[in-house]
Amino acid sequence: MSFVCSPPTLRRTILSGFVLLFAAGLIAGIFVPFALAGDTLTIYSGRSERLIKPVLDAFTATTGIQVQLLSSGTTELVNRLKAEGDRTSADLLITNDAGSLELARVAGLLRPLNMREIERAIPAQFRAPDNAWVGLSGRFWIVVYNSTMVKPDQVKSLLDLADPKWKDKIAIPNSGSEYLQAGVSVIRATYGEEKTKRFLQGLKTNADTQVYQKSSQIVEAVAKGQVALGIVNHYYVYRHLAAQPGAPIAVVMPDQQEGGMGAIMNVAGVGIVKSTKHLDSAKLLVEFLVAQAGQKMFADLDKEYPLHPDVKADPALVERKSFRAALVPLTKLAELREPTLILIEQVGLR
Amino acid sequence: MNTIRQQLASPLQLLVLASAGIILLPLAYVTAQALSADPIVWSRLWATRIPELLFNTISLAASVAVITLVLGVSTAWLITRVEFPGRRMWEGALVLPLAMPTYVLAYVYSYLLGFGGPVEHLWQLIAGPQVRIFSPHSYWGATLVMALDTFPFVYLLSRSALLSMNVSFEEVARASGVSRLSTLWRVTLPLMRPSIAAGIALVILYVVSDFGAVSLLRYQTLTYAVFQQMTGRSDNTAASILSLLLVGLALIFLITERWFRQRSRFYQTTGRYRAPQRHRYGWLGTVAVTGYLGLIVGAAFALPTSLLIQWSLSHEALATLDSRFFGFVWNSGILAASAATGGVLIGLPLAYLASRRPTWLNLGCLQAAYAGYVLPGPVAALAVLVLFTKLAPVFYGSVLILIVAYVIHFLPAGLQSLEPAIQQITPNLEEVSRTLGLGVRDTWRRVTLPLVRNGFVVAWVLMFLQTIKELPATLLLRPVGFDTLAIRVWMEASEEYFQLAAPSALLIVLLSLPALALLVSKDWRAA
Repeated sequence: MSFVCSPPTLRRTILSGFVLLFAAGLIAGIFVPFALAGDTLTIYSGRSERLIKPVLDAFTATTGIQVQLLSSGTTELVNRLKAEGDRTSADLLITNDAGSLELARVAGLLRPLNMREIERAIPAQFRAPDNAWVGLSGRFWIVVYNSTMVKPDQVKSLLDLADPKWKDKIAIPNSGSEYLQAGVSVIRATYGEEKTKRFLQGLKTNADTQVYQKSSQIVEAVAKGQVALGIVNHYYVYRHLAAQPGAPIAVVMPDQQEGGMGAIMNVAGVGIVKSTKHLDSAKLLVEFLVAQAGQKMFADLDKEYPLHPDVKADPALVERKSFRAALVPLTKLAELREPTLILIEQVGLR
Repeated sequence: MNTIRQQLASPLQLLVLASAGIILLPLAYVTAQALSADPIVWSRLWATRIPELLFNTISLAASVAVITLVLGVSTAWLITRVEFPGRRMWEGALVLPLAMPTYVLAYVYSYLLGFGGPVEHLWQLIAGPQVRIFSPHSYWGATLVMALDTFPFVYLLSRSALLSMNVSFEEVARASGVSRLSTLWRVTLPLMRPSIAAGIALVILYVVSDFGAVSLLRYQTLTYAVFQQMTGRSDNTAASILSLLLVGLALIFLITERWFRQRSRFYQTTGRYRAPQRHRYGWLGTVAVTGYLGLIVGAAFALPTSLLIQWSLSHEALATLDSRFFGFVWNSGILAASAATGGVLIGLPLAYLASRRPTWLNLGCLQAAYAGYVLPGPVAALAVLVLFTKLAPVFYGSVLILIVAYVIHFLPAGLQSLEPAIQQITPNLEEVSRTLGLGVRDTWRRVTLPLVRNGFVVAWVLMFLQTIKELPATLLLRPVGFDTLAIRVWMEASEEYFQLAAPSALLIVLLSLPALALLVSKDWRAA
């Protein structure tokens, strides 16, 4: 093969280029942490970047406080906070799962807050007793179905999806997803170990390879008719419908039947990291997020339900007052997590 | 005892020992963590995940091996034994898929073959409206993507075997009345066996440690499971158990590859070398060969690249080309440059001492540096993570931890070309220089360095190329505000925002091309 070697002069230029680049890399490596030391908040966010950046940009625009974002998996970020301890550069933790926030609180990673703004805005059942984390928006675990393939009365409960008649017709999130873990925890707390295990086994058989990393893909698969049903958080459906209004998908708010457990709820929330060096700025951000304007923006971006009682949800969503939520308190999600994970692993969900 | 003390005295020796230690420690930590795990965790994993994961990983490796064998050997044979218009162009074009990271190819194919995607539409025009094609998110999808991405390894090795083979064996067979096909089967292929085996082992090593494609195609392999365990669980025990299995599996194939590579060095008999005769095909043959090669290169490179270009020029994609995007480019460049430079700086003394003072200690250190080969990305990340949290928590979450992971992971790629470069120079040259009155430092600067510089450059470029493509370790270890191009591709592609992922993906491919050219002309083994 005839690939020609570079002439010596070029080589020298390249070589000195390398040296320069390395020097620059070293400098960047050393100074980046200090560059953040000004009035900049660092946020570890388990919420995907496109759903949170607009709110944070609005915060920066009003307060002038810059924000650095590390978007990643929720559990991974909590692990990271634990490992980093007091040396972490994070000032706040935002996640989409109350269980993870509570785990972080129990591990002593978050800072209790005494702020009247929080207590006035967010009802007590949506935050930690010491306000170490505060819920910002509510989401429900629902069944999405393809309206050309399924009639709305064919599914009443999440547990119906384990029925053999849906073999190869359902799509589910993978077992690493925090809201699957939270959902299964609620089912376990309501129905007990055995029934939950049978449910998961049925779910595993029916979904087979239709196990997704991202819920947006589940909705996409349902909309295309690749599967008939899927389990996702409600907002994925409305986001899809906002982008493609004609898509043949609809929502079943599950377990509303007589004696049913109610829809499984979780919240996205925020906590201030204990070792933060920017407490005042961090509090400003929390204040911004629980205030009416922030609540509206935070919830609407993701088509979630605002937790502030005076803020209205997006009109496209099912009216919040028209359905019941399951009774398991959010703070219990943390202690339920470990046995749930063991059960999930026993069943062998992917 | 005395010799050991002398060896230890030299600062270079200490440096080498220290770097070998740093490279081995993470592996040791993961092993220790896995072995000290509660037996209940082991048995639970055996009862649930491990059989499925092992089966998936091995069957994927097997099918990819078979397909790459066919693709690689057939293309190499056509290139070396047949004369047709455009042959030299195809000779280079067949290497291009190496510039395509697996996750990029995976995301392009999950669009092309996806439910309701263009290929299915085409097929429905032919076979009727309700027909479905196989899903890319499956065993076959993963096989297709991995095979298209890795067959150049087998192609390159087979090609050089065919070029350096003594044609007299084949001529004797032909002269004795053996048919052309039978000669190929009974003489040529057996002679190529060691090279093919080395190529296949390399392919398998690549498949077993791949994270990008299997994660986007949702095909459960050990490497993917390690990543999922690390991101989904609050303790790393299960992740380290799976890692240990993965390391064992990779080790088997690494040893196989080395064993066959050693053998492939010595199979040549004496005899005058003559370039093999190339058959000239008629126009029908030419069309068939061109069509075949065009199909392969088209599927593995041309089509994906043109899609990426088309997506990059879309309105949504162009809107993302702001200062933030250039920040990602800068991050990628800085990280890759630092890792490559670090790798050269650490690899150099290792290779130098092993070649100059080949004591058991030095050779052992050099072998230790190849540990990165059996540490797939998520495992390297896990290992470095565990190590830093235990020993040097100050650096957790800094750029340094990421660079250490890169260096450990990619040092073997660099050593592949540092080692021969250093072996090339004879000690005599240095001795002459010393006799003529130059000091140690001047000898190094004016004699040794100029001689090994080329090897350096190649090693540097190789590690740079690897790092810029790297995904899993970057995902797990990146500091705040250090998203790279690879991360952007993965984040957008995993939510199926194909257009938004395209500019970053295209840039990675374009950056890889010149490095690929350099690599093919020198040492391509480490790609």
